[in-house]
Amino acid sequence: MAETFNLPDVGEGLTEAEIVSWRVAIGDTVEVNDIIVEIETAKSLVELPVPYAGVVRELLAAEGETIEVGNPLIRVGDPGEAPEESASGDQAQEGSESAAAPPAHPQPAEAASEGGSQGPVRKGVARGRSARAGRKTPVKQTAATPDQSPAEDSSADALVGSGPKADSTKRRPRTRATQPDVVDLSGLDIPRDAGRPPGGELAELVAKASPPVRALAKRLGVAAWELVGSGRNGQITRDDVERQARQRDAERESGRVPSTGAPRTGQGTAIPADLGLLYAGPREDNVQVRGVRKATAVNVSESASSVPHVSVFKEVDVTRTMELRAALKKDPSYEGLSVTPMLFAAKAIIWAARRNPQINASWHTTHYTLKNYVNLGIAAATPRGLVVPIVHDAQTYNTRGLAAAITQLTIDARQGKTTVADMQGGTISITNVGPLGLDSGTPILPAGQAAIVVLGAVRRKPWVVEERIVPRDVMTIGGSFDHRLIDGDLAGHFVSDIAAVMEEPGLLLE
Amino acid sequence: MIGDYPEAATGEESVVQPIQLLAPDGTLTEHEVYSAYVNGLSDARLRELYRYMALERRLDAEATSLQRQGQLALWVPATGQEAAQVGTVAALRSKDMIFPTYREHGMALYRGISPAELLVQFRATGHSGWDPATYAFHIYTVVLGAQTLHAAGWAMGAKAESRLETLREAAHTASKPSDDAAASQDERAPLDYPTDEVVLACLGDGASSQGDVHESMVFASSYHLPMIYFIQNNHWAISVPAERQSRTPLAHRAEGYGFEGVRVDGNDVLASYAVAAHQAEAIRAGHGPKLIESVTYRMGAHTTADDPTKYRTADEVASWKAKDPIDRYRSWLVSGDKADEAFFSEVEEEGKSLAADLRSSVLSMTSIDLDEVFDTVYTEPHRQVEVEKGWLKDYEAGFVEEGSAGGEGATR
Repeated sequence: MAETFNLPDVGEGLTEAEIVSWRVAIGDTVEVNDIIVEIETAKSLVELPVPYAGVVRELLAAEGETIEVGNPLIRVGDPGEAPEESASGDQAQEGSESAAAPPAHPQPAEAASEGGSQGPVRKGVARGRSARAGRKTPVKQTAATPDQSPAEDSSADALVGSGPKADSTKRRPRTRATQPDVVDLSGLDIPRDAGRPPGGELAELVAKASPPVRALAKRLGVAAWELVGSGRNGQITRDDVERQARQRDAERESGRVPSTGAPRTGQGTAIPADLGLLYAGPREDNVQVRGVRKATAVNVSESASSVPHVSVFKEVDVTRTMELRAALKKDPSYEGLSVTPMLFAAKAIIWAARRNPQINASWHTTHYTLKNYVNLGIAAATPRGLVVPIVHDAQTYNTRGLAAAITQLTIDARQGKTTVADMQGGTISITNVGPLGLDSGTPILPAGQAAIVVLGAVRRKPWVVEERIVPRDVMTIGGSFDHRLIDGDLAGHFVSDIAAVMEEPGLLLE
Repeated sequence: MIGDYPEAATGEESVVQPIQLLAPDGTLTEHEVYSAYVNGLSDARLRELYRYMALERRLDAEATSLQRQGQLALWVPATGQEAAQVGTVAALRSKDMIFPTYREHGMALYRGISPAELLVQFRATGHSGWDPATYAFHIYTVVLGAQTLHAAGWAMGAKAESRLETLREAAHTASKPSDDAAASQDERAPLDYPTDEVVLACLGDGASSQGDVHESMVFASSYHLPMIYFIQNNHWAISVPAERQSRTPLAHRAEGYGFEGVRVDGNDVLASYAVAAHQAEAIRAGHGPKLIESVTYRMGAHTTADDPTKYRTADEVASWKAKDPIDRYRSWLVSGDKADEAFFSEVEEEGKSLAADLRSSVLSMTSIDLDEVFDTVYTEPHRQVEVEKGWLKDYEAGFVEEGSAGGEGATR
């Protein structure tokens, strides 16, 4: 009975090694721990001791070849058995072929011609001496490993010692990515934070890039966290960073204002006209990104790059709503509360969400979560920047209560009192661009939400009512939706339902 | 020359030469303090020292082979450091707690830990193969220098226990023991009272640069803890030379903390024994802590994942081969008629069977159950752990086809 010794991982996480020289030949007798071969890994030259005693029957790789960890190196048989016999088992064909190969120098050409169609033993034999030229090149290409690709930096020198893995050139191919939030914990009776997958915060804030790539991005002034990685599992690569830097430089180059010959930078005393600049100040000014600006940048870039957005719009006659608004404004119980079109839109959204449950949901790749409540986010422009405070369980409020809640949120936001907790757990958001005099826009979804409704300005416009053109209060209602979860027709139904309520607020009386 | 330091940094005269009793050629010199300890050793004990050193070296060879054959994830050879380890452990009492790094195989064998138990961690079939309480030998600590903090904590406890014993005895013997008296006496008690136990904190020249080690030494000094910082300066912190770690001999650092540091030739088992015995005696009398810098040399790689030929010269290795701890001790034993050829071949046979037993034990070790790893983190279900366990399962299930590429190594 012959034993096969496969190439072990002699370092920490090595994947392959080159055969430097055989110390034994076919027919030699070996003892346990006799050195049989010298191999070179990404880390070092290593002598391999054999784990079996007996007679060398086969050398399964030629000098100069690179073979993968786990593939066979040598076969050692009982001294009493003839070589032919040792090969007569389940690996008969391969064994007899190889036994004919000259000691210490199996024919590379022969190995190559056999290719991967052979049995389990032969398939490990590399494709000849050409492998020496590219040690990092995967030698074996079988069906089981379809997409091995050398990682970035594969040409870097190997590390000495037990640091990070020296050669992560190959990984076992995967059928899918594993998400951090795949585990159903419902049976465990352990509270889970609402709307926050484990690692969610980190995932948003940390760019998916290796430390050297981050360092490169920092050096080149590229915001790595804004890039969409082209590497495996969306990893940001050196190329991504360099490409971004080149593109940015090219834009700067082409967009440069023609020089007037005056001093370019740092001459604050000169008047803009002399400098050919827009206003007094340096030609280019690097402004530190921090606070709400930074959080907004991180959030929107994460959302925009990971969520496929789809937007729909509808122009609506909101005259009845404006009449109701005028009535409520006179109602003493609404005194001090801001009664705006947004209040009615909020009621309409809750009504429409009840009719279109899938709007009010969050996407988690392997599943999505339907929310049987509305935590309504209200986007508010504040001196600090954009904040989106939440009315929790908005469906429990009556109209006056909702007006009070929104009024309070708005005051808090303007005064900068909105806390982080106030902004967490939203399920649907509203952004009101009307006060800016705008009609609509394509907002970016807040993290974990599938719908954001955009409200435009209310304008007096000519409108066709019963075949006559009459002046009416008209507004554009639209929104952006997570297309993974919400198709155009569902988004359309949802927006139309909101529009229906805004057109006929009496529907809320149902 | 042992331990070369730049003159500018230290001034040549201030560098204390390591204490050496047994020269590389096997001749013994007298020392006014330390010879007494060696003279007290019986021939049987002298042979024991040799036996453990030889067994450690044989263990190293077998474990390295097993790693090269894919049976161990890693091995950390100690060849060259046998005298430092065996001499020091032999000078302690069996109940003195030892906090090893991950290279103290000679000490582990001396304490009775089997080679198979030692390899459990290196085959990754368990966090550790032995119960620290059984052998007064803590589990191997891979986090560099962390064990020095554990050791200081343990020494603090040992000191408190000794104090408690003293107070109890006092309470028994005093005619009318009063709580007030005991309390006020406690407050006034000097910190350097005797203790039963000496705690050995092992570390290397590389770990000496760790912040944990600094904290531990500050603490040990502040509380006069009964402990020895045993630094095996094997000259290489993986690929970083010792002179990069410290501009002065490591033993000199002790002075900065307020305790004594000694340099000893770590390739001299007799000096290693004598110095450790002398220091342990002083510590038990209440004069701890102490630092021993054992100047030795790592003959092999840092670990099996390291290739030392990339950072040190063959000449340097050869110069240390000439100072081999086992060779010099063996020639001294022979010249002094303390051991005969029969003894040496007996030890060699024992080494062979140790290796054979170790091989079969390692090959029969069963894999660790990953579920159990998660399930034993907390006593009750824990959200984070469950998430991670689920994640791993999902991850493991996410690979294209299992087992098509064949296992690593010979038998998996």
